[in-house]
Amino acid sequence: MTETPPPPAPAPAAAPALALAGLVKRFDDKVAVAGIDLVVPSGSFYGLVGPNGAGKTTTLSMATGLLRPDAGTAWVHGVDVWADPVAAKMMIGNLADGVRLFDRLTGEQLITYTAMMFSVPREQIAPRVADLLDLMDLRDAAGVIVADYSAGMTKKVALACALVHAPRLLVLDEPFESVDPVSAANIEDVLRSYTATGGTVIVSSHSMDLVQRMCDHVAVIAAGRVLAAGTVDQVRGAQSLQDRFVELVGGRHTSEGPQWLRQS
Amino acid sequence: MVATVLKLRYRILGNTLARRPWQLVGFCFGILWALSILALVISVLIGVSRLDDLEPVRAVAILGGSALLLGWIVGPLLIAGIDTTVDATKLATFPFTTRQVMAILTATGLTGIPGIATSIAALATLVLWVRSPLAVVVAVPCIALAVLTCVVATRLASALSTGLGGNRRGRELVGTIVLVVIIFAGPLTTGALAALSSAGDIGAQFGRTADVLGWTPFGAAWAVPGDVAAGSYGTAVLKFVIAVATLAVLWVAWRWSLERATVSPPRQATRAVRPGRLGLFGVMPTGGVGATWARSLTGWLRDPRYLRQLVVAPLFPILFAFTGGVDGFMFAASPVMVAFVLCIAGYSDISYDGTAFASVLSSGIRGRHDRWGRILGAACVGVPLTVVIAVVTAVIGGHVSTLAATLGAALGLILVGYGVTAVSSALIVTPVAAPGDSPFKTVPGQTFVSGLLVFVVLAACGVLAAPALIVGGVGMVGRDPAVGLVALAVGLVVGAGVIVVGVLVGGRTLERTGPDLLQRIKAFPTT
Repeated sequence: MTETPPPPAPAPAAAPALALAGLVKRFDDKVAVAGIDLVVPSGSFYGLVGPNGAGKTTTLSMATGLLRPDAGTAWVHGVDVWADPVAAKMMIGNLADGVRLFDRLTGEQLITYTAMMFSVPREQIAPRVADLLDLMDLRDAAGVIVADYSAGMTKKVALACALVHAPRLLVLDEPFESVDPVSAANIEDVLRSYTATGGTVIVSSHSMDLVQRMCDHVAVIAAGRVLAAGTVDQVRGAQSLQDRFVELVGGRHTSEGPQWLRQS
Repeated sequence: MVATVLKLRYRILGNTLARRPWQLVGFCFGILWALSILALVISVLIGVSRLDDLEPVRAVAILGGSALLLGWIVGPLLIAGIDTTVDATKLATFPFTTRQVMAILTATGLTGIPGIATSIAALATLVLWVRSPLAVVVAVPCIALAVLTCVVATRLASALSTGLGGNRRGRELVGTIVLVVIIFAGPLTTGALAALSSAGDIGAQFGRTADVLGWTPFGAAWAVPGDVAAGSYGTAVLKFVIAVATLAVLWVAWRWSLERATVSPPRQATRAVRPGRLGLFGVMPTGGVGATWARSLTGWLRDPRYLRQLVVAPLFPILFAFTGGVDGFMFAASPVMVAFVLCIAGYSDISYDGTAFASVLSSGIRGRHDRWGRILGAACVGVPLTVVIAVVTAVIGGHVSTLAATLGAALGLILVGYGVTAVSSALIVTPVAAPGDSPFKTVPGQTFVSGLLVFVVLAACGVLAAPALIVGGVGMVGRDPAVGLVALAVGLVVGAGVIVVGVLVGGRTLERTGPDLLQRIKAFPTT
């Protein structure tokens, strides 16, 4: 790997919502992220796609201050995440994948708690929590503890927590996993109007159809590197995003499966 | 099929030990410990078998056997934790009948280290009956019966305590009941022992106890060879029937609990609170301190893992009242012991968050706000509890004049403890039971070193609280109310000082170490 000097911090006014420069993360001997550069323009709906183990979650963790990078820098609206984590995190709404919530609280308590953590003024908390419960179709389950929620409901309450402090940047790791299609469509509407008013969303997903439909920008990541990044139309060209992804990542093989698995 | 699962279990153990050298060290110490206990037991048995009189030999067999079974039932709950490497829920996806699952679980129980040690020790009891060849022959099936009873009983106990077959609420209920039983088990045992020893001749008492136990499920199997050796064949047959019936009942009960576990719906609808019931979250001020305070206090009041640490506290005064009487110094000083237990409870507090710590980390609150919130949450429970115990013990013991001194030492220690753990919990995370799991489950990945760190934290608390403890001790011994007031002042001032410093240092440390703590928590093996 050649040493490139990190680019200077972009000026806050024109700064992109999220900028990553040379992010590297190793776990023991395994390189999870091998130098990722990415610019997420302000107001964009940015998709992050890649096969299992590509380093999506690791990258997003480093971008949101949850995982210390071995090298490289992340800026959120011009604020260096690892130099001034408090200021950066105040701007981020984060839905992390593979972590628990404080699931002994009821859904309503959990969203209220998250709002308090971000110092939302007391008089604004209750209306916001009510709006989010309606938005996520969780009104009936508001008083049930989160440990008793189904997987999709848990995802939705986590999404509500990410939204409650009205962040400038939403970082959503697998937000639609096991969410029912009606809720997903409702959430999609909200996210769309959020980006239309200047908010920025970055989602990681395995669903190419969803990314092609929802996102205006996309980055394809595999083996800890960015294979392609830009607007969705630039990346996919004349093909569907699905075909372009397979072409970039490789590994598709056509077969009917092993003989012993066939039922007739 | 049984052999496959046994192989799997040893493969899991091997993989865990190979990856974690320090756990291997702990494991070796465990084996050495088991071997030394085994050697001790065998030498005692050989010594007893040399006695001419048959009565003490029978008493030893019955009492030892009963204690063994009791140990198998309560040991996993209290000390060792329940081994969940192979359990019914993990076998549920495989096409086994309930009978096969039970056979597998019995076999894994027999072939673990405790199972092997128990089998060897039980076989060693054959030496007790060398005087009567017929008794030796009879003893062999009795030993098999007794060892199997131990294994099945422990499986049933763990099935009940982890509430297999219940929903979450049922599990938590069973957990709470077990906690209550544990609280009362200590005083009851000491009381029973006190009654026993006050009755005079200990040898005769043991003999009589053994006679009674020989007719109960605990000692029946162990009483049969003794009865045969003594020539009373009628009672031997009756006791053998009791032993067989015990195993049969345990087996059926276990089978019932497993079958219930497989047919009960995984998540029943739970009672929901009315929307708008925010609990402490509606009361505390908004901001990082208030949010953490509300969350932490909710945990202390509701989470079995915290409650487990709280219920130990009232045990000390009760224990010392039984052993030393309410006039004794230890009873008067027991509030300090309570403070000692409570102050160390949060030494790795972030471990209890589990990976939910990620949501604390991504909110980016200042480290010192997190520290204040956690201290306030712990103190809202710990300080009143300490004060109440101090006042109650002072009134009961009739030494109200030294109350100020006791309070000074106890409050000084607990406040210092909060300050010290504010720093230690920013550095140390240990594997703990996940939220909602039984607090009695063994947690993989606990290492020798992380166990030793507790003592480092304890030592720090002791050193920093020394001024309050010394002045308080002088006040308690000298019974001088003026010294008591000084002790109270010293305790509060020193405690407050250590807390402020601890919050500042711990807060700054946490801001630096937070991401690393999260990574370490994520790396803990999960069951």
